[in-house]
Amino acid sequence: MSPHPMIEIRGVQKWFGRLHVLRGVTLSVKEGEVVVIAGASGSGKSTLLRCLNGLEKIQQGEIWVDGVPIHDKRTNLNRIRQKIGIVFQSYNLFPHMTVLRNIILGPVVVKGVPPRQVYGRALQLLRRIGIADKANAYPDQLSGGQRQRVAIVRALAMEPKVMLFDEPTSALDPEMIKEVLDLMRELAQEKMTMIVVTHEMGFAREVADRIAFMADGQIIEIAPPEEFFAHPKDERTRRFIEKILAV
Amino acid sequence: MTPEMRGEAIGWARAYQLLKIAGRVLFSAALVTGTLLAIYGILSQSYPFRWRPALQDLDAFHQGLLRTLQISLVSMVFGTALGLLIALARLAPFALLRDMGALYVHTLRNIPFLVFILFMYFGVARSVIPTGAYVPLFGWELDARLFWGVVALSLFEASFISEILRAGILSIHPTQMESARSLGMNYLQALRYVILPQAFRNILPPLTGELIALVKESALLMIISLPELTLTAKQLASQKPLQFEFYTILAAYYLVITLPLAALSHLLERRLKLGGRE
Repeated sequence: MSPHPMIEIRGVQKWFGRLHVLRGVTLSVKEGEVVVIAGASGSGKSTLLRCLNGLEKIQQGEIWVDGVPIHDKRTNLNRIRQKIGIVFQSYNLFPHMTVLRNIILGPVVVKGVPPRQVYGRALQLLRRIGIADKANAYPDQLSGGQRQRVAIVRALAMEPKVMLFDEPTSALDPEMIKEVLDLMRELAQEKMTMIVVTHEMGFAREVADRIAFMADGQIIEIAPPEEFFAHPKDERTRRFIEKILAV
Repeated sequence: MTPEMRGEAIGWARAYQLLKIAGRVLFSAALVTGTLLAIYGILSQSYPFRWRPALQDLDAFHQGLLRTLQISLVSMVFGTALGLLIALARLAPFALLRDMGALYVHTLRNIPFLVFILFMYFGVARSVIPTGAYVPLFGWELDARLFWGVVALSLFEASFISEILRAGILSIHPTQMESARSLGMNYLQALRYVILPQAFRNILPPLTGELIALVKESALLMIISLPELTLTAKQLASQKPLQFEFYTILAAYYLVITLPLAALSHLLERRLKLGGRE
């Protein structure tokens, strides 16, 4: 275990214009840890995630990923982003490229790896998710679940140290959610450091090392799953859990 | 139905489709040819066309055609390159760049090209290189008319092309840029590999239209005595009493350039459509 945490978030504040979306978020994630972030929409979960790879700028506080200061203007974000994979709710595959090219584009363009060397690994990743036969298909020929798994594999092809998931199953039909969560579960078992924004509390209970609950731009509660579900301290967490369990 | 029978049925259906398309094409071609012949017939009642003497000057037309092609192709390259830079400036996060881009586009788009040619050739060119029919460029001696003609056409068309490119870039959802940047690509890489290929597919029809307009606008360069197609025809027409013939040939020669361009765009559009679209 490395002495420094893989992700260190300290007192982060963010405004969208006059809207105060992050009000002092502090969170530390160790290497190999899986943290699930839950919370109502508008609580700032996705924004927090997007701040971690610099897609959104923060106005106050510090964010360190693998020892690199994301909040620092002098940081080369392109370099640190290679180590941070991110998966979006709407997959965001490149529609004009085949599945295979979607996967190898990052390593080839960003890292300068010869395409031939990436093909093997890309195909291996596709075999792993069981759609090697779709290597030459275009994204619009895949199901939602397949697209999202390709998006995960595309991020993995960069060999990141951290994976961020922004509601990866929210746009999926129920029968496809499992195949995506299964892949994420495998990654967790392989000790990938992960932050997952999701409403899938079954997944959180089973896979997360800790669950963080966000409301009004703050993490108001963070605890291992058993404790989180059994003894929520904050009233808002309690209400959230009741609602989730009622479904 | 057995699979073989179904395959055969599909084969027949396709053959029927092809036949239908071929029929339509032939019918339109016949219609156009018929109409043109009819008009020609009526016109030749009052004007005795003399094609043989007119066709003796085809060599001159070929010279002009080559010149027009040369001017158009070079201007297309420079106009598109400059247009892309202006489009990017107008999408830049810096207000100064955006304003400069907007200023460029709005001034150039709103003056007649003929006026811009005169401004460039008799204004700018004369003050930059006071005398001389040649412009030295990388060791070459370029005909000043050719040089300034291409400059004027490129600068002018860049303003139109930039607007098309800007619309194309804006038509791609910002999440595409985000996911490209998230992989660690810099802005230019994301543009080159993710945004522009998709934008290009969306703007192919208007872009081709603009390139065709560029070819047609090159005709106005005759005003600075640039011996392209139109000036060639004009000079021939002033030497021989075959004006109608020469200008008919002239029109046909422009079609020789522009129609293949349109066809190429159409083909490309169909090919690109085969690639996936989300």
